[in-house]
Amino acid sequence: MSLLQIENLRVTFATETGPVEAVRGVSFSLGRERLGIVGESGSGKTITGRSVLRLIRPPGRIEADRMTFDGIDLLKVSEKQMRALRGPRLAMVMQDPKYSLNPVMRIGAQLTEGLLRRDRISRAEARQRAIAALEAVQIRDPERVMEAWPHELSGGMGQRVMIAMMLIPEPDLLIADEPTSALDVTVQAEVLSILDDLVKSRGMGLIFISHDLRLVARFCDRVLVMYRGRIVEELAAHDLMAAKHPYTQGLLNCLPRIGGPRAPLPGLDRTGDWAHV
Amino acid sequence: MSDLIEIEDLSVTFRAHGRTVRAVQSVSLRVPAQASFGLVGESGSGKSTILRAICGLAPVSGGAIRIGGQPLRSPRDKAFAARVQMVFQDPYASLHPRHTIDHTLSEPLAIHGIGETDARVVRALTDVGLPTSFRFRYPHQLSGGQRQRVAIARALMLEPEILLLDEPTSALDASVQAEVLNLLNRLRTERGLTFLMVSHDLAVIDHMCDRVLVMQNGRAVEELARDDLAQARMKTAYAQSLFAASADRMLDPAGKETR
Repeated sequence: MSLLQIENLRVTFATETGPVEAVRGVSFSLGRERLGIVGESGSGKTITGRSVLRLIRPPGRIEADRMTFDGIDLLKVSEKQMRALRGPRLAMVMQDPKYSLNPVMRIGAQLTEGLLRRDRISRAEARQRAIAALEAVQIRDPERVMEAWPHELSGGMGQRVMIAMMLIPEPDLLIADEPTSALDVTVQAEVLSILDDLVKSRGMGLIFISHDLRLVARFCDRVLVMYRGRIVEELAAHDLMAAKHPYTQGLLNCLPRIGGPRAPLPGLDRTGDWAHV
Repeated sequence: MSDLIEIEDLSVTFRAHGRTVRAVQSVSLRVPAQASFGLVGESGSGKSTILRAICGLAPVSGGAIRIGGQPLRSPRDKAFAARVQMVFQDPYASLHPRHTIDHTLSEPLAIHGIGETDARVVRALTDVGLPTSFRFRYPHQLSGGQRQRVAIARALMLEPEILLLDEPTSALDASVQAEVLNLLNRLRTERGLTFLMVSHDLAVIDHMCDRVLVMQNGRAVEELARDDLAQARMKTAYAQSLFAASADRMLDPAGKETR
C-alpha cells in the first residue's frame, strides 16, 4: 500500500497582482521508496514538499482532490492533529543548516527539545537518544557536538545534525529539501549514504528534492521532473539518460562533463510548445 | 616568456581570538597570458583565499604574487584594478541593492576618470547579453543569472586582462550556469582574457580551464593538465577521490558499472 497519495495538488499564493499558482495539479503516490523531485528554481518542488506537511503560510493556499498519508486525510485533519503528525510520522530536512538551526540554542538542547516536550521522557534518556542519533549520522564525537553552538559546526556537520534531529522520532516519511546542496562533493556522498542506510534499515519513505539531476539519478529509485508547477516527466532513475521530455533532456545536456567537448554548452531551448503550458 | 600571473610559495594566515588559521600554505602556480587556470577543492581548502590574496583582501604572510612580472603594491592601486577584476560567487550579495545597474556599471568609469559613460554602459550590457532596458533597474528586479551577467559586465568595465572568478555559477541553475559559462568563454576568446577560476565542481573546471590545481587544507595537492583530468591520470589519492565523487561521473556509463 502506498504511504502517500496526492492527486491534483494546487498551491496558490494571493499577491498584489493577482493569484500566482506555484503548484498546478501535481499527482503522485509514494511507497517505502526513494522518490526524487527535480526542477529548476521556481518549479514548485519545494512548495510541493512543504504542502505535504501543510507548511504553507497564508496568503498561500493548498488545494487537492486528495492528499492522504497512511490513510489519514491531510487536508481534513486539524492543525493540532497535524502537529502530532509532524515529527513522529512526517519530517522534513531543510536546505541550509545555517538558517534552519536555532543559532542561540546548543545542539543538544535542540535535539532533545522534541523528546522532552512530546515524549515526556527523562532528561538523561533524551540525551542518550540524541547521542545515538548523532552517532547514526556518523558524527565522531557526539558528546562535544551536543555542547556546541550551531555556528561552531561546519556545513556538513550542521546538515547531519538536522538529519539526526528529524530521525530521532523515527518518521515514516522523510522529505529532504536539497539536503546536500550546501555541502562539498565528498561530504555529499557521505550524507547520501547515511540517508540511504536509513531508508533501507528503517523502511522509511523518502522524498528527495534537488535541482541536481545527476545526484537524483544516482540516489533515487524514481524521479519526477517538475517545470512551472507541473510534473512534466516521471522516470525510473536508471532511465534518466533516456528521458523523452525536451525539458529533461535540456537539463541534462546543459551540464558540462569531464572530458566533454569544449563547444558552447547547449542552452535550454524554451521555445517549444511544452514551455508555455 | 614569463607568465602573466606568478604565485610563489604563497601563504595566508588569519589570526583571530588567539587562534592562527593557516588558510594557504606555500602554494605556487603560474598562469600564462590568455590561459585559463582552475583551482578546485572543498570548502576551506584555501582556493578562494588565493583569489582574495591577489586582490589584497587576505593577509599574505609569506611568498610573492607577481602580475606581468611586477610585484603588487599594497594597498592595491588603480592600475591594479584596471588590469585585474574579480567576479564573486553570490550574485545576490555582490551587487549593491540600492544602486541601479547603471550606477553599478558606471562607478568604475567615474573612479578611473573614463568618459563616454553612456556608450560604455550600453555596450557592456549588450556584451553580456542583457537588454539595454535593464539599465535603470535595481538588482532585486533581476534573476540570479541576470545579476551574474551584471557582475561580469562590471568586472569588464575597465577592460582588464585578468578575471578572477570565484565560483561564478555555483548559485545558479544548471541551464543558467550553461549560459554564463558560454558567455565567459566567448568573452575570453573575443578579448584575450586570462582566467583564474575557483570552483568545487570538477566538471565546470574541466570545461573552462586548461590546467587545474587541486587543493586540500590550504595546500596544493596536485596540478593537472586538462587531458590528464579527462583520462583520470591523477597521481594523488585525494585528486582521485574528488574525481570519483564528482557528480558528472554518474552520467558516464563506464562510471556506473564501477560504482
